[in-house]
Amino acid sequence: MAAVGAARGAPAASEVLNLFRSFLKETRKFADYNIREYIKRRTGESFRESRDLDAAAAASAFEFGKKQLEVVRRQSVVYSLYAPRVKNIMELKFQES
Amino acid sequence: MQRARGAALGSMLRGAVLRHVRISCPQHMAAGARRLFSSSSEEAAHAHGTYLNKNEVVDRVLNVVKTFPKVDPSKVTPSSSFQKDLGLDSLDTVEVVMAFEDEFALEIPDSEADKIASCADAIEYIASHPQAK
Repeated sequence: MAAVGAARGAPAASEVLNLFRSFLKETRKFADYNIREYIKRRTGESFRESRDLDAAAAASAFEFGKKQLEVVRRQSVVYSLYAPRVKNIMELKFQES
Repeated sequence: MQRARGAALGSMLRGAVLRHVRISCPQHMAAGARRLFSSSSEEAAHAHGTYLNKNEVVDRVLNVVKTFPKVDPSKVTPSSSFQKDLGLDSLDTVEVVMAFEDEFALEIPDSEADKIASCADAIEYIASHPQAK
């Protein structure tokens, strides 16, 4: 699979953005605030780190990203089994006084 | 019996307290409360499958954009483009569009999400979608 991706050259910008969007959509499924924010942050950092790669490196980063998305999908199932019973204090909305 | 007495005592107490305590309500709070109530009754009047009021959409869209961490709130206007005027990159734009989904409880398909590049685009898309809440 990775070889096929590398042969095809750099992924189109829209493909990358769709992958990024898929990550963020998957992130929403985590009930735990800390995990959710971590994955969101980590996703953004990795995509930005890969901003200036050449075609071959971009293709392999893209393939790696797709595999990581599967990891996130599996983890969202695992974490859903151990969802916290109460919300994190960071999620509570306080009234402005 | 005891519960009834408790309730009577409760209402007596409340009456006594309310006679003596006056809560001052600043002008802007009263206006806010009126707006809150009027909008909720409007919502109840046509509960489903309706379009949001354009002004409300504009306000809420601008609020979402202003609270985005990398955006300078003073630069946000209804016509600002995310990348040209607000200095966001394409990944930030995806994040902002996701924030709109959260705010309006609607799902924007990928093909449509790619077309939203400015506050004006977002306002137009959301105002023309009856699912937006």
